[in-house]
Amino acid sequence: MRPVTECHHQPWWRRAEANRLILPAALVAVLLVAAVGLGSLGALLMQAPNMDVSRLWQEPWLSAILRFTLLQASLSTLLSLGGGVLVAVVLARRPVFPGRSLLLRVMEMSLVIPSLLALFGLVAVHGRQGWAASLLDYLPPGGTSSPAYLYGLSGIVLAHVFFNLPLSARVMLQALEQAPSAHWRLVAQLGLSRGSVWRTLEWPQIRPLLPRLAALVFTLCFTSFAIVMTLGGGPGSSTLEVALYQALKYDYDLALAALLAMTQLLICLGLWALAMKAGSHAPLVVAGGTVAGPVSRRDAHGWRRLSDAVVVLGLVGLLLPPLLAIVVAGLGGVPDLLGDGGIWLAALRSLAMASGAGLGAVMLALLLLAGSSHLRQHGRGLLASLIEGSGQLILVLPALVLGTGLFMLLRPGLGSDLQGYALVVLVNALMALPFAMQVLRAAVTGLSGAQRRLADQLAVHGWSRLRWLIWPNLRRPLALAMAYGMTLSLGDFSVIALFGSPSAPTLPMLLYQQLGSYRWQSAAATALLLLVLVVLVFAVLSALTRKLPRYVWRPGSVDTTGLTSGGETATAPATREEEP
Amino acid sequence: MNLSTFKARKASMLPGLCLSLLLMESATPALAEDGERPTLTVYTYESFVAEWGPGPGVEKAFEAQCRCDLNFVSLGGGVDILQRLRLEGDSTQADVVLGLDMNLIEEARRLELLAPHGVDLTPLDLPISWNDDTFLPYDWGRFAFIYDSEVLPEPPKSFEELLDAPEDLKVIISDPRTSVPGLGLLLWIKHVYGDQADEAWQRLQPHILTVASGWSQAYFSLFMNGEAPMVLSYSTSPAYHMAVDETDRYQAAEFSEGHYLQIETAAMLAGSEHPELAQQFMDFVLSKDFQREIPLGNVMYPAIDLGDELPEVFGRLIDPGSFTFSPQEVSANRQSWIREWLNATSH
Repeated sequence: MRPVTECHHQPWWRRAEANRLILPAALVAVLLVAAVGLGSLGALLMQAPNMDVSRLWQEPWLSAILRFTLLQASLSTLLSLGGGVLVAVVLARRPVFPGRSLLLRVMEMSLVIPSLLALFGLVAVHGRQGWAASLLDYLPPGGTSSPAYLYGLSGIVLAHVFFNLPLSARVMLQALEQAPSAHWRLVAQLGLSRGSVWRTLEWPQIRPLLPRLAALVFTLCFTSFAIVMTLGGGPGSSTLEVALYQALKYDYDLALAALLAMTQLLICLGLWALAMKAGSHAPLVVAGGTVAGPVSRRDAHGWRRLSDAVVVLGLVGLLLPPLLAIVVAGLGGVPDLLGDGGIWLAALRSLAMASGAGLGAVMLALLLLAGSSHLRQHGRGLLASLIEGSGQLILVLPALVLGTGLFMLLRPGLGSDLQGYALVVLVNALMALPFAMQVLRAAVTGLSGAQRRLADQLAVHGWSRLRWLIWPNLRRPLALAMAYGMTLSLGDFSVIALFGSPSAPTLPMLLYQQLGSYRWQSAAATALLLLVLVVLVFAVLSALTRKLPRYVWRPGSVDTTGLTSGGETATAPATREEEP
Repeated sequence: MNLSTFKARKASMLPGLCLSLLLMESATPALAEDGERPTLTVYTYESFVAEWGPGPGVEKAFEAQCRCDLNFVSLGGGVDILQRLRLEGDSTQADVVLGLDMNLIEEARRLELLAPHGVDLTPLDLPISWNDDTFLPYDWGRFAFIYDSEVLPEPPKSFEELLDAPEDLKVIISDPRTSVPGLGLLLWIKHVYGDQADEAWQRLQPHILTVASGWSQAYFSLFMNGEAPMVLSYSTSPAYHMAVDETDRYQAAEFSEGHYLQIETAAMLAGSEHPELAQQFMDFVLSKDFQREIPLGNVMYPAIDLGDELPEVFGRLIDPGSFTFSPQEVSANRQSWIREWLNATSH
């Protein structure tokens, strides 16, 4: 061991003082998020002369909307999370089967495809004339009634589960895969039954995730606009944002718009506070090394193969057909697509903006998480929750309010098109922030108390600690978070539509232009290209971080320090990585 | 220093030149050519400026005569143009706004930002007379239900027939609170049924498959997937299918009660930095060079008689009677009519 005095010769970024930079940096991130979020709401409030909260009670439809929204969002959340747990456990139990990595790609995709496309795919499969309907015709009863489950509450919930189940399963799978390898080996050696594995290993690993994940999914369902309206069947099924749209755009009633926005803000932030309280204890199992070598699990044999297969097939049945419908529709337009220079420029433009948004989201998420975990370690739980909660602010603020408020704030400065695009990138980054935080949380807070103390003793600080202890655990979640951030921005139309644009369109804008001009074939091809890009982003980022880093510690060299459990073990290639 | 060079310098000071080149490809070549040409900024909506929309043709024709740069800024739709004007007020960069429909005119007029257009209205060829001195129509259409003739060979011939049709005849409509055709249908039914509008909505209710959030969702996600044989759209929609897709499958159902009109207008800003240019553009709107881009570019009727230049397919569209409320009536009653619709259709 090096003498402690030696660390004084180290550059400042390797000394203990460097750890203190975390807090100010996190504070800057919080300020940025709060300035954008609260600033835009504030700008709206400033312009609204007489706020009268009682107006909320005078609007007869408000309580009806709220009741319906709570119902559909709760149902959607319950089913998404329940199904997500099932899928995650099965996928963790089956690290190798044909098509597994493809399935993971598809799971990543469903959350980020634009709602208009998802609608198209869902209707093509589940609609009255859809594939499911023609399948049902072959069934013995042969009833003449076409399935009508797509319109109404069931359709809304189906669509929301389509969006959110894969996300939940993906995040939970990652947590399961981060369970310490020793635990998995023990489970295998003891030949535990399925129930025991669940109680001792899987549930403790998943449980800390649930409150926050539930809050995230609930918020997404609460604010979902096109899906709820279009599949709802009538004006009875609606969201607060419809009322907000009406108040802001047609009536220019800023006071009512601000009131509605604050109602949504309070409900969703309240939920987040609950979630944070429920999930504030540190994860019972600290993220550790991945499993070394394939583990033969007693609970993965025999008839249980069948039940696992059913779950996987169910997931495939939920996800694949709608996406396939989009692909099939788009194939016809591909020949025209290849010769069209405009669409490739639009794709490049979209990718450039997505990279910015992805990077921004990941950086902000890291800062916020590092700051809050630092505070939590020092016993400042409330402050830590506050910092973490600020990351969710943008998601619970209606995009319309955000856009209008920001426009009011920045109007004199919004001179060039480029600044408009930069603003879109910033807002996209903020919108992807909750997703990035969800994926990154376990990895950032991953150093256990013992590891931290040891690192302190060994004077592994600042940059070195980041590079050698945190980074190896962070690589893959970072790639996943970056991919979510990029692809969410790639498929986003809502924000770019707020600020208006010059004649150089992004991919989603092109899609809407094509739709607006009846160009179904080209629109479908553009949609296909968008899907391909989403898959590529996930695949490339996953591939880049798949290989073990070169600097991985050699076998036997440091095992005595106990530090290896903080990084990927070097004893064997990490076969429990996602891809077989 | 004029506006365009100022913009260019501002942009070049920012980091990320590659990105700026990529994003601003449309603005840069014109500046490189001649930095001294003034820029006329026109706010319009997305589909107008699309590569295949009327925008590029209009831009080329106008720039050939004005020795200026025509710069389109595209926003989501007519409502967004109005919203942008409200937010920007006097400091707006727009010289001309293109795309406010009749139902937005009153609200736009109240902003007191617009100037009289001073254009001779005699060439106008609309189904109704028009003498507004601020808003200049550049195209028009009628709301209509488009039907799939392979599924529904005998569409209803009137609203009454639709309301009395067997329950399994489904239509897809869009929400009047968030979509232009949705509001069009609301006004259409109000105009036809007056005080009995709520009753008509209740009779229509069993036929409504769903109320989509917007036209794209209704037409693309649902109708093109064959979810219902009828969808709310424009009577000109079949023109595109016939001329470009070369199919007669989708046609507009002609209702004997008549159809509600949609008229889109252009207006110039009183505070424009280039009033002569703006005026020149307004004069250009009713010229053939502008109007010939409309029929297939915007899939609407041109605002003047194009004679032989009107594509042949437009002669095969339905030609029903048409009507409209005045912009003032719409502005005064929209909220209460939407409430009436909500009460009639919510359970």
